[in-house]
Amino acid sequence: MTNREKYKQAFSALQASERISLEVENMAIISQKRRKNYIAAGLAACMVLVTGAATVYAADLGGIQRTVQVWVHGDQTTAVMEFNEEDGSYYIKYPDDQGTEVEERGGGVAIEEDGSERPLTEEELMEQINAPDLEYGDDGTVKFYYMDQVMDITDQFEDGVCYLQLKVGDTVQYVTIPYGQGYAMSPSRYLDPKEFSAGE
Amino acid sequence: MRPSVQTLAEQYQNNLYAAAFHICRDAEEAEDIVWDTFFQYHTSKKEFEDEQHIRAWLLRVAINKAKNANKKFWRIHRVPLEEYMEILVFETPQSERLFETVMRLPEPYRIVIHLFYFEDYAVRDIARILRISESNVKTRLSRGRKRLKEVLKEEWEDDESGEI
Repeated sequence: MTNREKYKQAFSALQASERISLEVENMAIISQKRRKNYIAAGLAACMVLVTGAATVYAADLGGIQRTVQVWVHGDQTTAVMEFNEEDGSYYIKYPDDQGTEVEERGGGVAIEEDGSERPLTEEELMEQINAPDLEYGDDGTVKFYYMDQVMDITDQFEDGVCYLQLKVGDTVQYVTIPYGQGYAMSPSRYLDPKEFSAGE
Repeated sequence: MRPSVQTLAEQYQNNLYAAAFHICRDAEEAEDIVWDTFFQYHTSKKEFEDEQHIRAWLLRVAINKAKNANKKFWRIHRVPLEEYMEILVFETPQSERLFETVMRLPEPYRIVIHLFYFEDYAVRDIARILRISESNVKTRLSRGRKRLKEVLKEEWEDDESGEI
């Protein structure tokens, strides 16, 4: 067998479930419902800023419920977030752009140096959700989001890397973005993609 | 040309699923990506030149969506790769080893390897789909193959350097 034949044989094990076929057949009917889910999923591609608003204890996750300000691709809205430090799980609820409440649950983990995983602390969670975000459009556009700032950086890539400066309060962050391979920020200099990218 | 979503789903859903899985390594996420890709086709008014044009567009959309999904900090109910592999049916133990070895490669290598060996795309086509240079594709392909050879040894032939 050639490598190609071996590869195809190995990956023929990957089959999409029949659920997809059924859903596609009913796409027009369920598109509205899924659209809401899509927006909910899109929340992960936005930034959350903790405002330090009123704190109450909630029964759902057994964690602390907070009011937070959510940035959904440049638009700010108020959300309720609950975090359980025991397992790193979260629950968040916010109104979408149509005024419909969107709810999402999930969790986060950190990978230790030895490869083991542990639940994120709330501080780590907040650090992550305050971080900038990138969106690669199917039309080839690339957008960089940071709170209410939206930057179209599609044409800013030279040799596959975009460098930009981001003002955060009184400080400047130097952002290095190798196309399709995440990004890195440093307060002192532009990091070389080789320092943090898995690719070339 | 504008084939129906149903026609495209029958033809390409497993291809899109495999491509998305190569990037996100999560079955549920990959299925969502497949659905979102067809939904994007469903809602777009884009006209296509031919079937190859559609196939490349669908793959590019699915790959971009998977990359975006990978950047999500919050993920819901992720199933570890080892756990997911237990429910997959492999024809041979070698197939299972190849699958696992590929999945352990860095993502930039995985998707290039996949488009080359599974989708039969040439380097220039992969470069267009991923919007990277041909030399970058060749480098990733070469490094990916090298790593596969290092792990799989005699189970991975050293015979395709001339195919690109």
